[in-house]
Amino acid sequence: MKRKLLIFSLLLVVQFVKAQQTCATALPITTSGTFVVDAINGTEVPQPICSQYGQIPEEDIPAGEWYVYTPTGDFTVRVTSDLVANSPRKDTRVHIYVGTCTGGFTCHAGDDDSGANLSSTTTFDVEEGTTYYIAWDNRWTADGFTFQLTEGPIVVNPCTTATAITAGVTTVSTIDGNNLTTNCSNATLAEWYSYTATANLNLTITSDLPQNICKNTNFSVYTGNCPGVLTCVSSDDNSGIISCNNGNTNSFLSTKTFEVQAGVTYYIAWDNEWSEEGFDFQLTEQLIVRPVQYTTQVIGTVDSQYNTCIVDMNGDNKDDIVGISSNNMKVHLQGDAGIFSVVNFPISGTSQMPSWSIAAGDYNKDGFNDIILGANGGISLWKSNNTGSAYTSITPGEYIFCQRTNYVDINNDGNLDIFSCHDIDPNVYYLNDGNGGLNYYQSGISAGAYMLGVTASGGNYASLWTDYDNDGDVDLFISKCSGPPSELHRNDGNGIFTDISAIAEIDETPVQSWSSAIADFDNDGDMDIVVGSNGSVGHKFFRNELDKTNSVEEAFTNITVGSGLDLDNSTNRDYIAYDFDNNGFIDILGGGNKILFNKGNNIFEPTTYGSIDVGAVGDLNNDGFLDILNDFGNANVRYAIPNGNNWLKITTKGIASNSNGIGARIEIYGAWGKQIRDVRSGEGFEFMSTLNTHFGLGTATEIDQVIIKWPSGTVDTYNNVAINQTLNVIEGATLSNQNFNNGVFAIYPNPVKETINIQLKDNSMTLNNAQIFDINGKRVINTNDVSQPINVSQLANGSYILVVTDSDTKSYSQKFIKE
Amino acid sequence: MTKNYFFSFVVLISSLITSCSDDDYTEIEDILPVATNDVGTYELLSTVIVDVASNDTTGDAVLPSTVSIVGGTDTDGNTTLDKLVVTNDGIWTANPVTGAITFTPNGGLSTSPTPISYTIKDAEGNVSNVATITISAVPTAVVDLTQVPYPKLSDYKFFAGIMKNQIPSLNVLPLEPESTLFTDYAHKKRFVWMPPGTKATYDGEGKVLELPVGAALIKNFYYDNVQPSNETRIIETRIMIKKATGWIFAEYVWNNEQTEAFYNMEGSYTSITWTQENGTPRTVANYRIPSETECFVCHKVNNVAKPIGIKPQNLNNDFPFNTGSQNQLAKWVEVGYLDGSNLPSNMSSTVDYKDTSKPLVDRVRSYLDINCAHCHSQEGHCEYRPMRFSFSDTGNANGLTNMGVCVDTQDMQGFPSTLSKIINPGNHNRSMLYYRINTNNETYRMPLHGRSEIHTEGVDLIRSWIATLEPCQ
Repeated sequence: MKRKLLIFSLLLVVQFVKAQQTCATALPITTSGTFVVDAINGTEVPQPICSQYGQIPEEDIPAGEWYVYTPTGDFTVRVTSDLVANSPRKDTRVHIYVGTCTGGFTCHAGDDDSGANLSSTTTFDVEEGTTYYIAWDNRWTADGFTFQLTEGPIVVNPCTTATAITAGVTTVSTIDGNNLTTNCSNATLAEWYSYTATANLNLTITSDLPQNICKNTNFSVYTGNCPGVLTCVSSDDNSGIISCNNGNTNSFLSTKTFEVQAGVTYYIAWDNEWSEEGFDFQLTEQLIVRPVQYTTQVIGTVDSQYNTCIVDMNGDNKDDIVGISSNNMKVHLQGDAGIFSVVNFPISGTSQMPSWSIAAGDYNKDGFNDIILGANGGISLWKSNNTGSAYTSITPGEYIFCQRTNYVDINNDGNLDIFSCHDIDPNVYYLNDGNGGLNYYQSGISAGAYMLGVTASGGNYASLWTDYDNDGDVDLFISKCSGPPSELHRNDGNGIFTDISAIAEIDETPVQSWSSAIADFDNDGDMDIVVGSNGSVGHKFFRNELDKTNSVEEAFTNITVGSGLDLDNSTNRDYIAYDFDNNGFIDILGGGNKILFNKGNNIFEPTTYGSIDVGAVGDLNNDGFLDILNDFGNANVRYAIPNGNNWLKITTKGIASNSNGIGARIEIYGAWGKQIRDVRSGEGFEFMSTLNTHFGLGTATEIDQVIIKWPSGTVDTYNNVAINQTLNVIEGATLSNQNFNNGVFAIYPNPVKETINIQLKDNSMTLNNAQIFDINGKRVINTNDVSQPINVSQLANGSYILVVTDSDTKSYSQKFIKE
Repeated sequence: MTKNYFFSFVVLISSLITSCSDDDYTEIEDILPVATNDVGTYELLSTVIVDVASNDTTGDAVLPSTVSIVGGTDTDGNTTLDKLVVTNDGIWTANPVTGAITFTPNGGLSTSPTPISYTIKDAEGNVSNVATITISAVPTAVVDLTQVPYPKLSDYKFFAGIMKNQIPSLNVLPLEPESTLFTDYAHKKRFVWMPPGTKATYDGEGKVLELPVGAALIKNFYYDNVQPSNETRIIETRIMIKKATGWIFAEYVWNNEQTEAFYNMEGSYTSITWTQENGTPRTVANYRIPSETECFVCHKVNNVAKPIGIKPQNLNNDFPFNTGSQNQLAKWVEVGYLDGSNLPSNMSSTVDYKDTSKPLVDRVRSYLDINCAHCHSQEGHCEYRPMRFSFSDTGNANGLTNMGVCVDTQDMQGFPSTLSKIINPGNHNRSMLYYRINTNNETYRMPLHGRSEIHTEGVDLIRSWIATLEPCQ
């Protein structure tokens, strides 16, 4: 007898030492028990993953520990590492499989962090005679731990017999139903109810009612695929206020408010933790007032290495998604009804990747946007050919520790230049020579360079080009971190930039900002600045006090205190300013999974979302509401759900000005007063957002006037513009024939029926190209043969603009009428 | 009878010989040659030729071909001793025609050789006195503050003999901090030189020694067993020179021939493939040679250019000098490079992070100090983040917090949400610091500058340490 026992024990011991390392040698479990795992170092790695956080990093040497469990009856089983034996708790992860070692597994259950302090707990039903595998892995730690398997009578998952309820009062007569043992509840009995939210709501569940005085309640709330894995999302025991009149001062009644999502079913379990006595409970729904809601859609094909740019890539005025990988640009072209079609542009050679920032603009003025990629060591430029059918990479090679990059016409010659913030040196830019050439300058160092941020140690994180003094040229605001103060450089024309940081009093320190949101937040006609925090120093809100009636350079006023921005202590690299809810006031998106909505009067209120982050912004389904492309792991598009507010979009096509109209000031007038925008390339820190200008109109139904002030000086005015549409503007479209002041050529006849002739006023000029645009900005004729008259007989009657380009790539336009 | 005749014959012959006419006889007076001591100088590792006969003029005219080294050997059978091998010093040879003495130093000779002696003869075969030849090593390093930075590394004459052998010339002192900076697995040789008669002063155990104006710090970066030739390749030499107005940087990039390095502050990339100690090949594809701007990102304290490694805490250890293993601080004092009058007797010192006999936490503190603290300190480039990685900040009651243990991450944008603590005790996969040293993504990696490879050994060190930490309260 003794001998046999001894052998049996030895065998057990042997099993403990050798087993568990692989599926084939999994340690058998036959019944409830407690098991000690020495360490997670088995060579077979559990697949698939039945819980969160994906695969184990290679360098952690993925490993597993295996157990095989064949129950002798039908049970509800709980497997947990949330035990006092593990004090402190270990960070474990477990997968429960059905299947075979060689034939493959499906997930039956699993858990990562449902237990206390990142330990694991999972409950599942098992069938007699079916084999289940329990596999732990070292996603977080390979430390040993203890786990427990507990068999209990099959608890028909009470979610299957839950009573469906809606808002209102429900009476629980007594607690005598099944309960599920979870990390929220150990009680033996419970009453289960199911509730399905019809909208995103704040749901209040309470037993804190007068009729329940002196009762003692406890509840948990679950979501999940009943009867599969349920997750506890909320619970409460004693948060009620009504205290028992037997002398105790606290209430034993329960109450909790939490957010529920539309269409999701919630299981509410009142258990007998304290009492089985009956009571009433109430469900109250409160609509969550979010100025705008979002739906999330994963676009699986948006899978480039960097999906950080939204801009119109094919000239149809609709926002497209641009993805960058080392040798390919993948463009999702927006079609009707927001359906995307994919075009790939292979790029040869080695390019800098947009690890720090990306910007888009039509550098070579061929009608197709080109992309700046800003990296650790410098920039690359991906330049289109004339037809937008292929892109070439150009890497000029200067060492730049890029941060924010922008397209901007610094010298206002009609050609977009490239600007890059330099993290550790004075800022740099490339002047566009009009022939596609890049001429490198570094502020304060290159001969003749503009003074665009000359701090020797750099610390330049984000540059934003905006006309803060409304004098028709773009000024530069630089967000700084690591010590030096923010900078504001006023463009005085003629290549002179004056550092007015001190005069403007925006140079407060300490400051820790990687980008600032700049917009006319109070709609008084000038640009204000919110310096966004990325450190321990909070946001700074500077109101522009511009007064054009005098010649005084007014300082900005710091109005952070009381604005709501003083109460927000989230940090982020990116801060961007857009009217997300289309109510006519510009909001701010930064960190902390929320949008700071502008309530008017320079007050911002945060509204949190389940998850929302800064990404590229644009209107990806052409519904007039701005959407956000979040590029973390899976490319999620947060589509804004129209909320009834009205809107206006404006696309700008420059002729004498740069091709995108970057630097143009757009004003709209109506019942709201005035709203303004600048057309800008490169908002925030990292992403590129639409070059289409977007306004929210709130409930206004009329737009009195839209004025576009082009960098060239041309002003286009539209009266009585329709709401909820896209206005496509080409430079000079609204000027009468006589107002075109090109002085370079005349056309005849005008109006024209058949062919149009171009007469140069200066015969020494050579014209290389002529294009004709209709009044909607669509190009209808493109020819390089300018020596012949141009046949326009096929065009529909109406107004057109003829644009000619000379050998210096300067463009000139003239309007004509086709009859 | 014959005997008598012989004697007479001899006498007759003798008188015939000696008794010439009184008018023909003159006394010949014989002068002896005089050898004069010779003194010469030589630059370390270079051959010296001393023309010993040229100053032997005070006696009889000497024959240079008769120079003979005392204690030497006759290798060419001409009766002069023409070669003497002195262990530790080198080889002395005498030229059989010119008598010039050549001294060829041993490869390891870093001092002056022991003086030797020689004799010389006159035409009559008289041997002179014994004279000495004394050769003194002289320093060669030159740092003309009105001219630096020089266009070529060889202009400084910091190195003796063939420059790529990295042997310092006289008074160029090698040094090495106890824990070293990781630079893509490059080996380093570091040196310091100061103008004669100047010395550094102690400014606090966690602050760099204050070097005098004119001092230079030299750091060679190299790899061994570089393919395809399997030789050593020196990539770059970084020099800092202290001018009266402050420290300047001078970067020198070595040519492929390894004969010279040229001044270049523009920055560049290069690729190295070498065979590691375990026999496997490894490539660094994008080794970054810094531009001047990049030097200044790390090498600054409160925006003033400063060296990093030469803190007393890093030099309070033994280094294998040519003269024997010795504490570096003591050596600096001994050679006159450091004013030791206010060196504290008890200094907390960094440890070699690779030394597994040292406490794990001290190894980690030393690793973080040398790789991170120049930016992540109160006076560094990134002082606005809460981490304080200086060795002197991580050993006190606040040390763990200064290292980021249980401290919330501030810069979260773009990172997995599981990294919400800089160091999460026991959980390296939820620690932002671990994530960032374990990546090559150029917007995530730490350090941001100075490496393009992951230092797996450093990552392992940090991971081991995280596993030992107590949970947050």
